[in-house]
Amino acid sequence: MHADDVFQFIERCQERVSPQEVLTDLLQTSAKLGFDHLLFSGVPVGQQELAPLVELNGWPVDWFDRYNSQAYFRTDGVCLHAARTLRPFAWNEVPSDVGDTDASRQVSGDAADHGIHSGFVVPLLSLDHWQSAISFASSARRAQMSSIERAQLVTMATFTGTYVQSLALEALGQRDEISISDREREVLRWYHNGKTAWEIGEILQISERTANKHLTSARRKLGVATTRQAVAEAARRRLLHF
Amino acid sequence: MITAHVVTHENLHLYKAEFDEFLRRRHDVFVEQKRWRPPAPDGRERDEFDTDKATYILGIEDGLVVTSARLIPTSEPHLVSEVFPHLCERSGVPRRADWAEWTRTFVLQRERHLGLRGTFTQLCAAVMQYAVEEGLSAVGGVQEAYAMPRLGRFGWKLLPLGMAREFGEETYIVTYIEVSEAALTSIRNVLGGEWPRLVRRGTVRPFVPERRVSVS
Repeated sequence: MHADDVFQFIERCQERVSPQEVLTDLLQTSAKLGFDHLLFSGVPVGQQELAPLVELNGWPVDWFDRYNSQAYFRTDGVCLHAARTLRPFAWNEVPSDVGDTDASRQVSGDAADHGIHSGFVVPLLSLDHWQSAISFASSARRAQMSSIERAQLVTMATFTGTYVQSLALEALGQRDEISISDREREVLRWYHNGKTAWEIGEILQISERTANKHLTSARRKLGVATTRQAVAEAARRRLLHF
Repeated sequence: MITAHVVTHENLHLYKAEFDEFLRRRHDVFVEQKRWRPPAPDGRERDEFDTDKATYILGIEDGLVVTSARLIPTSEPHLVSEVFPHLCERSGVPRRADWAEWTRTFVLQRERHLGLRGTFTQLCAAVMQYAVEEGLSAVGGVQEAYAMPRLGRFGWKLLPLGMAREFGEETYIVTYIEVSEAALTSIRNVLGGEWPRLVRRGTVRPFVPERRVSVS
């Protein structure tokens, strides 16, 4: 593939086109490198489901349904590695601690039955999820990619990521940004460290009732039911880090 | 909310303490955390691009220098022209007085300033305001590819000058951002109607020589 194909894709990306057009365009461009399918998604962590995090779905329908219904994202070494690295990687470079498990081998075997044999993942910063990633998939058994091919995929992925973030900008105003108070942050942190409301009260020199009040209000602001979810949601929104 | 101070060679004497704090924080971030540069005996990080041609934007909040940007006209020697020219294989190294290379941005990690309306976005809004007022056409330089999507969130138009390249743990790409009133409006919308004040104290040199600065 020629470098110009990449730069022209990037220009088209910035012309306020629809997500469907960007997906079709990216599929056509990456097909020139032998990648027939792609999924752009937030990387599910903890108890998160994959489907709500998907931004652009260019996987074969039956494979996405299978991957999703079997909750393969909880055991697939590619997905697990995508949650913990910032570096682009080919599927066959996934470290053995997550890639060489029986469960992960089952996912890649099932992928092969669906005609998918190799792939390449580009992790990207997301302002909405723990992290995002584009997974490009190929029906070919690709042993090695050249550094030029890697660079071309990473460049296209990077600008697809900026495009997806710009969609959120258009939705701005429909959803207010959430903020929590310093006190709410503090009680969530102590809760995360295993303290009860009574203990948090002792630590912060406030009553148990007040500690509970802060926890309740943090849950309300973050729109979640439990304090555990509030901790996860605050971390996801980067209002809290550990 | 930060206040963004424009510091050039001409008004540096008004910012002695702040500038020294800025150099120490650069040492913390670029030497001790990122290990981009060897340690300096005096604990201040400087490089060959800290000349009197550089313009600094120091983001000050609660009496601390919490964030920064260094802008250098690409008509002068700059990081991309001297170190990464091979990353501009698409269009060559820019050499224009009204294209500014943007480097040395750090954000002091203070929890309540994270998030989409946090310190980083405030700094970006200040840089875009400065660039519009000074009549610049583009700002940019070497960027971490991984973090580029956040510039998309600001609604900014981006121009890659070359392909992304992997360097060990990180992947870099030379990208410039188009300067425009629309880019300023859109990042101010992200900040939700409140944005940093841009301060020029004393005599400040215009970024593009022979050009009158219009301050709106």
